[in-house]
Amino acid sequence: MSSSFEPLKPSRVLADLTPEGDGLIGKATGMLRAKTGRLTRELLREPGRFGLGQLPVVNQPDRTTTAVCGYCSTGCGLNIHLQDGPNGEPGGGGAVNLTPTTEYPVNLGMACPKGWEALAVLDAPDRAVAPLLKDGHGKQKPVNWDQALDTFRDRFQAIQKEHGAESVAFLSTGQIPTEEMALLGAVAKFGMGLVHGDGNTRQCMATAAVAYKQSVGFDAPPYTYADFEESDCLIFVGANPCLAHPIMWERVMRNKQKPEILVLDPRATETAMNATLHLPAKPKSDQSFFYGLANYFIQNGWVDRDFVANHTAGFEEYARFVEAFTFERVSKETGLPAETLRDAALRIRARERVSAWWTMGVNQSHQGTRTAQAIINFQLLTGSFGKPGTGANSITGQCNAMGSRLFSNTTGLLGGRDFKKAADRAAVAGMLNVPEERIPDRDSLAYPEIIEGILKGKIRGLWVIATNPAHSWINRNQLDDVLSRLDFLVVQDMYHSTETAKIADLVLPAAGWGEKDGTVINSERRIGLLKKVRKAPGQALADFSIFKLIADRWGCGELFEEWTDPEAAFHILKRLSAGMPCDFSGIRDYRHLDEAGGVQWPYPAEGADPAVERRLFADGRFYHADGRAKFLFEEPRPLPEAAGGKYPFTLLTGRGSASQWHTQTRTSKSAVLRKLYPDSVYVEVHVRDARRLQIAPEQTVRVESQRGSIRAKAFVTNGVPEGCLFLPMHYPETNQLTDGQFDPYSRQPAYKACAARLLADAN
Amino acid sequence: MSASVQYALPILGGPSAQGGPPDELSAAPAEQGIDLIAALLAQQADLTAVERFSQQHAEADRPGQSRYYQSLLPATAPGPGQQYGFEVDLDRCSGCKACVTACHSLNGLDDGEAWREVGLLHGGGQAAGGSSGGASGLPVLQHVTTACHHCLEPACLNACPVDAYEKDPVTGIVRHLDDQCFGCQYCTLACPYDVPKYHAGKGIVRKCDMCADRLADGEAPACVQACPHEAIAIRVVDRDSVIEHAEANAFLPGAPNPDYTLPTTVYKTNRVLPRNLLPADYYNVRKEHGHWPLAIMLVLTQLSVGAFLVELILRGAAGGRALPDPVHAFFSLAWGLLALQASTLHLGRPHLAFRAAIGFKHSWLSREIVAFGLFAPLAMLYAGLTWWRPEFYERSEWLPQTLGWAVVGAGLLGVFCSTMIYVVVRREFWNGPRTTLRFLGTTVVLGLAVTLLTGTLSANLFPNAAAYGHDLTRPLAIALAAAAACKLIYEVAVFQNLRDLQFTAMRRTAVLMTTVLRGPTLTRFVLGTLGGVVIPALLAVGDPAANSPAALYAAAAAFLLTLGGELAERYLFFSAVVRQKMPGGMTV
Repeated sequence: MSSSFEPLKPSRVLADLTPEGDGLIGKATGMLRAKTGRLTRELLREPGRFGLGQLPVVNQPDRTTTAVCGYCSTGCGLNIHLQDGPNGEPGGGGAVNLTPTTEYPVNLGMACPKGWEALAVLDAPDRAVAPLLKDGHGKQKPVNWDQALDTFRDRFQAIQKEHGAESVAFLSTGQIPTEEMALLGAVAKFGMGLVHGDGNTRQCMATAAVAYKQSVGFDAPPYTYADFEESDCLIFVGANPCLAHPIMWERVMRNKQKPEILVLDPRATETAMNATLHLPAKPKSDQSFFYGLANYFIQNGWVDRDFVANHTAGFEEYARFVEAFTFERVSKETGLPAETLRDAALRIRARERVSAWWTMGVNQSHQGTRTAQAIINFQLLTGSFGKPGTGANSITGQCNAMGSRLFSNTTGLLGGRDFKKAADRAAVAGMLNVPEERIPDRDSLAYPEIIEGILKGKIRGLWVIATNPAHSWINRNQLDDVLSRLDFLVVQDMYHSTETAKIADLVLPAAGWGEKDGTVINSERRIGLLKKVRKAPGQALADFSIFKLIADRWGCGELFEEWTDPEAAFHILKRLSAGMPCDFSGIRDYRHLDEAGGVQWPYPAEGADPAVERRLFADGRFYHADGRAKFLFEEPRPLPEAAGGKYPFTLLTGRGSASQWHTQTRTSKSAVLRKLYPDSVYVEVHVRDARRLQIAPEQTVRVESQRGSIRAKAFVTNGVPEGCLFLPMHYPETNQLTDGQFDPYSRQPAYKACAARLLADAN
Repeated sequence: MSASVQYALPILGGPSAQGGPPDELSAAPAEQGIDLIAALLAQQADLTAVERFSQQHAEADRPGQSRYYQSLLPATAPGPGQQYGFEVDLDRCSGCKACVTACHSLNGLDDGEAWREVGLLHGGGQAAGGSSGGASGLPVLQHVTTACHHCLEPACLNACPVDAYEKDPVTGIVRHLDDQCFGCQYCTLACPYDVPKYHAGKGIVRKCDMCADRLADGEAPACVQACPHEAIAIRVVDRDSVIEHAEANAFLPGAPNPDYTLPTTVYKTNRVLPRNLLPADYYNVRKEHGHWPLAIMLVLTQLSVGAFLVELILRGAAGGRALPDPVHAFFSLAWGLLALQASTLHLGRPHLAFRAAIGFKHSWLSREIVAFGLFAPLAMLYAGLTWWRPEFYERSEWLPQTLGWAVVGAGLLGVFCSTMIYVVVRREFWNGPRTTLRFLGTTVVLGLAVTLLTGTLSANLFPNAAAYGHDLTRPLAIALAAAAACKLIYEVAVFQNLRDLQFTAMRRTAVLMTTVLRGPTLTRFVLGTLGGVVIPALLAVGDPAANSPAALYAAAAAFLLTLGGELAERYLFFSAVVRQKMPGGMTV
């Protein structure tokens, strides 16, 4: 109940006392009993047009259009409700509301809370509305774009002049459209001469990308969401789609095959609740689990011999390797009883269409690539590829992580190419009309090495776009120190309030989702359209425009003459994709995407399959030169920082709720979303651990690792295993504790497991 | 885009072939760069390009979403003995909470406002494969989506003093009439499911109406439309089966007992829910709103009634020799009128206070207002006569007594109604004995305290007129000390609940009073002890003459401190109570 008493305006009092009714008796009755009036009318709903059903009178649309959501990689279609402008300009009044698109093939009329509130977060008071430049006293002051661009150019060019072109790096993102990230990568590398740039996708999907590239020859998640419905056995590994991808879970709930659902996760998550068998394996023991499973299948002769013989390479070596992974051994490593392992194997064996799905539990690991490949290997040896309801399927994180993997021009050359290959460089140079010598002939440093480069003084200038490393980077206490060593830090973001923007020397105000056009690629390789349906506040500009301004001011604008607007850039991307596995040169234009409800790659100019939902590898041909997928494997390694001694707990991290997105720069701006999750950090503690340490529910406790110490409220639950703690990643405290360990192949940070201790006394 | 601003990129000097910064900085004329900025800013502000994509959504007869929700709506309208109810399939609720945001968006609600909430029940045992011990079985996380239950016996409707609720005779939907509401918020206390929410900005309560007009059009409510997992449906329920469910307490673990309001929502599951399921916010203790206007109103009406009561008893004891004392009458009346004034401050729309008696048939709040509405003019008449026509009392044998009893009778009826307001809403801290003892205790303690004060004041002002025939300072002081001590001891007893093994409502109240409400609690007991017990005891021991300044000062101090203590007690009455509610989400 709220306590504030707002003074009543006389006009309202008068209205309340002037009842609606006919005649004197009617009015007198209305004075006593008012069934209608101004307050009732505020909440009236009227028959909606455009097939939307009833909608509140306060924001009836004049027209609608569809755009893809800009949070996660599910890529849901949203009907944006538009009002016309004051003089009847069509759509000129901008978006007033949204509803999930009934027909969109991804979400079938549904959205998660983040999507429903996607427009609400655009109105936040902490939107960056003008460039901000640090003055002599270290205080950020608004400046105009002209000054901001001059400063950007002068400072970065000065650094490059003194320390070499490589001394300035950029951090891209999976949160902007492909056209923008491609232009960024092109301007930075071909125009500004930067060599090093990586994306925040390093934190979420690098492992999957590397695993696919090595195993099947291209970064190609093979599935379509229909596979959630067509599979009769779904194995979720380190994935909690109920909270992380609720709309993918919608598709699982629509599965009519009475599927077996196996969930491999140390925690009893919402998804585990819906499992037919929850396998609470010890953190990071999933690699051993899949080796053991493979061995059991091989020993029992349950191998798809034809598929293995015709479409894979290295099976014999793999079979020999996994021989050591008996259920006795795997039981020891996973903590799962041997009979449970056998039960899992038999359940999988009994089904026809087995699909395996993984997310961050696998990717964010010290051995993520090999773990992902253990999953891929298992699906290969059972021939579970290319058929409906099968596949080794990575569920991606950010809305455009998949676009970033192909077109960010950071650690890979545009279109899934290789900087180190002269032919690839020549091809890109030709297609972009860029001098070939402007294309670096070596890979960029990965995100962790860029950070290390700053520490070593090799990187002196950093340009951060639409990501928030000061919150999200692993072991972030150290990062604060690292970022403070930079000579010049530029942050380009929608909000001036992110942890990173607050310490920037220069903040460039960016338009957000809904304020610009572009395309994103979702987890099932579907290219979807974003649309400008809101005016950006103040001087904020689409990132695309900002990159163009920077190119112009830098003096390399003419290289990007063809990139006039996002749709023109899209045609360039089509050209870059042609002939690659991700070929989508057959897509006509934005309107085609809009009409088709998004289009999955591949969609080549010649012979494209027009089906709405398509999967890869139906012909068993993989992208390696020999057409075969490889079995890749390695002895599992122990946790880099195992629990024990002074730090007896294993600290797990992950998503807290479906209403929170990453570092909360956007989701914390919606009052409705804020109601749906705890407002400050909490730690999940097992009931017996809490009892042992005399920690009462809701008590403020201290969680410490070798790297930091935080206060958090205890949520006592047996959903987290004994000996483990869980911290949601959305709170700025969490990454003060995580340990800077990385997968050796993907360089992805291992957020999910480090050693920690718990103190009942928070002081 | 086709409608975008066309601009030409300035052609600049050729970049250096090695990459890196060009040698010549800013080779372009500055104006060109500024033109580009202006062009891009203009382009950013232009929204009309979206027009070319907006044609595809043609007019449609049926809402597109109906293809998904058709099976979630009842095929027929409710018959006799039936109504609509929400049906929640717990096995399908995954905790995404899209229903909450959809309710907010599709109903045009204010920032942060939504009529659906999602709670969490958790419990069960250690996961399989972990070490053994503790509760058996698997851990359980069960999200629970909840909105208005459109009860057969809606507590909100019964509580409402202005009939701002109506229950549709056919659909059974409990609808709030926003323009009828005057913002007393009594329904927010009465509903055991915490459904009606007060909107301070508008001064009224708003709540879920099951999207009645959508249902009337064959459309699904917002939450039903938006659940990705089809966990929420509208069904026709038999009222008899609702009653049977309530009798068996088969509503939902962790929810209030359904026998109070007969909620019609059906929570169904094929799972066996473990017995140790607790709401995720079970251990959360949060203070409630203190409702200062109500606290003041209650304490002061009780003071006023108590003052008249004590006087009447004393005059009765004096065998009819004593006449009503103008000072006492003034004090008694003034506090009472102040109380009634304070109560209107509580209303979100005080200008509609005249509607307050409409719900007399069912609302204890209406009855309270009627009773005090009777008490006020009687008390004014009684007091007015003491000032302007004291001869009436001198002439008549029966008038003073009769009028006095009428005033006290109406007042006690008012106090009784006040008590019932809180007793009927079934909060543990407000149960019958607890509320009755508090409210009557305040009546007696403050009645004695104010009489002690007026006695000494009157004796000091008019040394010749002994109000009740003889000096009553000492007996009044002793009575006050005894009454106040009893009340304080009774109140202290709440801390016994700190030893409850379970986290009961009363233990929560005690925890609140020792933690977040520590300050008000200390204030209550210090003021109450000083003013109610210590000073009266000293007064009784010292026994100064009523007309001495010492007696007056002591009595004034005792009264003010006691009054302060009682106000703090009443603040705690509101703020330390534990509301009933549906299982909440994580609040840590």
